[in-house]
Amino acid sequence: MPTFTYGDLSIEVDEDGFMQEPEQWNEEVAKALATTEGVDELTDEHWKVVNYLREYYLQFGVAPMIRKLCKETGFNLKKIYELFPSGPAKGACKVAGLPKPTGCV
Amino acid sequence: MEAEIRTLPEVSQDVLASLRPPSLTPEKIQERLSYIIEKDRVVGDLPRRFLEAFAAVLKHTNYRQVIDNYARIPARCANCACACQIYQQTHDPKDVPCYRSNLLLEVYRRHFTLRGIVEGHLSGAPFLTDDLILEMAETYYHCTACRRCTLECPLGIDHGLVTHLARYVLSEIGLVPRALVISTREQLEGQTRNTSAIPWPAIADTLEFLEEEIKDDKGVDVKFPVDQPGREFIFFAPVSDYLMEAETLMGIAVVFYATGAMDSWTISTEFLDGINYGLFYSDWILERCLREELEQLRRLEARKILIGECGHASRSAKAFMRTFGGGEKAPPVVNIMEYTYRALKEGKLRLDPDVISERVTYHDPCNLARTGWIIDEPREILRSFCRDYVEMEPRGQWNLCCGGGGGTVSVDEIRPYRTGVTGVKKAEQIRATGAHYVVAPCANCKKQLREVCEDNGLDDVEVVGLHDLIYKAIVLE
Repeated sequence: MPTFTYGDLSIEVDEDGFMQEPEQWNEEVAKALATTEGVDELTDEHWKVVNYLREYYLQFGVAPMIRKLCKETGFNLKKIYELFPSGPAKGACKVAGLPKPTGCV
Repeated sequence: MEAEIRTLPEVSQDVLASLRPPSLTPEKIQERLSYIIEKDRVVGDLPRRFLEAFAAVLKHTNYRQVIDNYARIPARCANCACACQIYQQTHDPKDVPCYRSNLLLEVYRRHFTLRGIVEGHLSGAPFLTDDLILEMAETYYHCTACRRCTLECPLGIDHGLVTHLARYVLSEIGLVPRALVISTREQLEGQTRNTSAIPWPAIADTLEFLEEEIKDDKGVDVKFPVDQPGREFIFFAPVSDYLMEAETLMGIAVVFYATGAMDSWTISTEFLDGINYGLFYSDWILERCLREELEQLRRLEARKILIGECGHASRSAKAFMRTFGGGEKAPPVVNIMEYTYRALKEGKLRLDPDVISERVTYHDPCNLARTGWIIDEPREILRSFCRDYVEMEPRGQWNLCCGGGGGTVSVDEIRPYRTGVTGVKKAEQIRATGAHYVVAPCANCKKQLREVCEDNGLDDVEVVGLHDLIYKAIVLE
């Protein structure tokens, strides 16, 4: 498995850069992963999305439905794409330390 | 011919012996086709294993008769090139459908016919090489299995079937896109029993959320029925809808509400995913997914299988339920658009013509339209309430593929190929319509078309399902 290193951080990721061990996630990891998504600085708006995804994932073991993410954060899909250019599933979920979505997602 | 088939079911041992190791290493495959395998599942000597797998498939299925017929045809007129949107984009001779089909047919001719075996002995050189296997693994996943070329072939060759068979044999030796295998394994052997690995509590939470949304938007109490026995329909959506397509699911639920048939359908908690990647690469998987659907139908004593907005899920069930589900006794398979169309014809849907003012066009999913199965129904529904409805050219049975068919849409590694090669003609088609809404009633097509639009500068286009627009426009009492 590839290893992603950033500064002193070193984490196991899959081929697409998603965390292999989501339980190892913390805020420093999020900041590091964000750089791979073209996000140099995590603003409050980024954190709002990341924290909600994280919270939902810890409760349900999967990302929330996109419409629910939009509703709970108050951001529309366009806004989420502005925050995370690869979108909610591939971008925001990666930064929040969720595993890569599978199937037709 | 019958006798010949019976006398040559196995690969000659001499031929097998002539295939010399060392063979491809997983590292070499990884280097060229990073998306195609799980590294630890491929072990040495691929030509030998390919032939053994091919022989086994020919022996235990009825592909042999078809392939034997195809192999007697030179299949080099290349009429199919005119129909193939990939060839039309690349102009690479390797993308001509019959060139591609001939790779597998030539293996068959050389190793499974008397003439080929004799010629092989005389020439001495083994035909099936590492390079040829790699070429097949690559090219059969460049094809989107849209089967448009089958409409053009004057000799009646179904190149989509050859692509399917080649992928089937390749998958038996571990050469199959990782994305498909991982999803299928979770669906058939995992905890969650679906390709997107969504645990049931998350689905339940989502359904509750959708019910609240419908209440907020439409002011009515609509339920998503779960595990209800004795219903007419058991419903299988592509499971990704539960993450991505809120309005498609809500649209379906309100159609049941509007038709006074809320107690005619149910979702199963045990297995609810209509996705069947077996259609793309393996008859084993195809059969197992259908058997799961059947088991749920029996468990809940439902009478019909209802598939949501998904082309391949619909075709795999419609075309193969009889094969694997008891012949004449197999349950009927209905696509949700057929149900909604009937509701429209019976005057049960009130769709407000003032809601959708933007221009709308319809994309035919290949798996619904190529055989002529569902073409007019969604159009009639859309025309009934969309004032500015326009058509793409070509369309219907002659539609162009979204560019992500045959399972390729799930392989993120080849997105540049999907949106920069196979999807380019589709992008041009969409641009020419000037439409804001592209209605694509298929989870695969939706994902692909969104990426096609994003990568081809179609920023104002919104890709939606048919029931998304119905949801917006429906009037409920």
